[in-house]
Amino acid sequence: MEIKYTTQCYVIYIAMGAYLLAFITTLLRRRKTGHILYRFGFAVTVFAFGYRWYHVRHVPLQNLFEVFLCSGMIYPVSLFCHRVLRVGGYGADMLIGTVVLFPAGFISRFSAEPQQLMPALQSWLFTPHVAVYVLSYIFMAKATFQAICQLTGRSPDPDENLLHPEQATYRLICVGFPLLTLGLVLGSYWGKRAWGDYWGWDPKELWSLASWLVYVGYFHFRYMFGKKHPRINSLWAIAGMVVIVITLLWVNLASLFSGLHSYAT
Amino acid sequence: MNKFKCAVMWVALALIILLISLSIYGAFLGAARAEDFFNRLPLAVYWTALGLLLIIALAAFRRLVRVPGLLLIHASCMLVLAGAMWGSKIGHELQKRLFGIDKIRTGRMAIYEGESDNLVVLEDGQTFRKLPFSIRLKDFRIEYYEPQYLHIQSRQGQGWKIPVEIGTEFSLGEDFGSVKILRTFENFRITIEDDRRVPYDDPQPGLNPALEVQITRPDGEVSTKYVFERFPGHTHPEDRFLLSYHRVISDYVSELQIIKDNKVVAEKDLEVNHPLGFGGYHFYQHSYDDEAGQYTILSVYSDTGLPLVYAGYWMLCIGVFWHLWLRHVFARFKAKST
Repeated sequence: MEIKYTTQCYVIYIAMGAYLLAFITTLLRRRKTGHILYRFGFAVTVFAFGYRWYHVRHVPLQNLFEVFLCSGMIYPVSLFCHRVLRVGGYGADMLIGTVVLFPAGFISRFSAEPQQLMPALQSWLFTPHVAVYVLSYIFMAKATFQAICQLTGRSPDPDENLLHPEQATYRLICVGFPLLTLGLVLGSYWGKRAWGDYWGWDPKELWSLASWLVYVGYFHFRYMFGKKHPRINSLWAIAGMVVIVITLLWVNLASLFSGLHSYAT
Repeated sequence: MNKFKCAVMWVALALIILLISLSIYGAFLGAARAEDFFNRLPLAVYWTALGLLLIIALAAFRRLVRVPGLLLIHASCMLVLAGAMWGSKIGHELQKRLFGIDKIRTGRMAIYEGESDNLVVLEDGQTFRKLPFSIRLKDFRIEYYEPQYLHIQSRQGQGWKIPVEIGTEFSLGEDFGSVKILRTFENFRITIEDDRRVPYDDPQPGLNPALEVQITRPDGEVSTKYVFERFPGHTHPEDRFLLSYHRVISDYVSELQIIKDNKVVAEKDLEVNHPLGFGGYHFYQHSYDDEAGQYTILSVYSDTGLPLVYAGYWMLCIGVFWHLWLRHVFARFKAKST
């Protein structure tokens, strides 16, 4: 872990600070101030992402530094979830924003050094494949938070007209799962175009299949026993997030899983 | 839910959990061993059982047929499974036995510039098979990102990154003087002329990219250095700087022609992400001659089963988005309008 003395990272630190302050002020029940800070943090993260884009001259989704930076732009998802899906969790989103920006800002392994795209990444599939995965992971992270709320017995304020955590988890997974599916299918199609096979049995592919299957299992379990065992539904959702974290981080960082996707660190 | 339906759901859940476990296990094996593992007979039994279960589920649960999204999702899984099994090693063997279709499933072929070939080395690395047509390599080239850079590091740890622009002088500051790149070489060689070593760019086959760099010290003393891309540690103890030259590859291009019955029937510049499809096969840029750039290595894949898999992908995406997103959006619009 280190402090990165670059303009790019200074901007990330400002965004992290804004998200953290937003979280603290929301905890202290100063919601309006928290919301303003959250929006400010989002604006700074968008600036950081735009700055990165200008700097590297391609859509910055090439490595984990850039993926985490992109994940930090969580505010529109919060807004969509609150207004359209009736799912709360603004405070948690502020914390998620801080947590996902942390590796980009402080972990030395995630280099901020600009890199040019290797030949395999020069495809129209590069941006949609990574972007839909990032978006689906954000929804699944929010679903995990709701699942934890359900397990710990926390419910939203009745005045807010928000869904119960178990239903909220389901609704978020319903939104995230098609994106996860699209990411998997686009990745497979891209693999066919770049490497010759639509399924190469690479560790990253197998872990991403496992994460997709956990949510398939969630849907089947919920259909069968959803009403009888709602707490186990939530455990499925949490298990899905654990597998996603392994897919995103461990597979790329651990030499144990070296494969075709090892470049993306 | 009656007992039969309940049993079907239990089996479905068990097979999903089993596939999650197998995927995680396979991830620890590495790609090559995992591919072998997932193509073994017990796994073929598993895939068949999964396919059968999907058919049984469609028969048992009316909802799966009545709700278009669910029908598409489950039918798509059957299509992907069928396509994958049809295109697998066992699938190719079955086609050979049952229908006499004898296709190469996968392999590699090396083709020299200016020559044509139809020999494919199979996965085992020892068996050769012939394609029903030949492929001619007109030219192979590697493209690099521009500008390329010369990296300079002083003994004190200061670093500079200088674009390779011939004749432009770059100042390294008052303490270090300046640097100018005089020449670039694709294939650096040395010849002896009048007892002097003279570097030249050899047009003969070979790859030895290098830069001729002129370093001017603050006191005006001038020296010339050669920086080799393929020998990054090449330095002398008296050198004040560590120089390195690294080009970033942007693409590999094989200019190919397909020849059938002595006629050129297709032509394509094969690049990464732009494969060539012909005669039931797809060809990909796999590797190249990194010593002299004289030949290209292509990987060959049979396209058997691929249309089924792609149809399954389309159906899966349409089904999932329709069932989980769009039908709710339409329902909401409908409710609003009424």
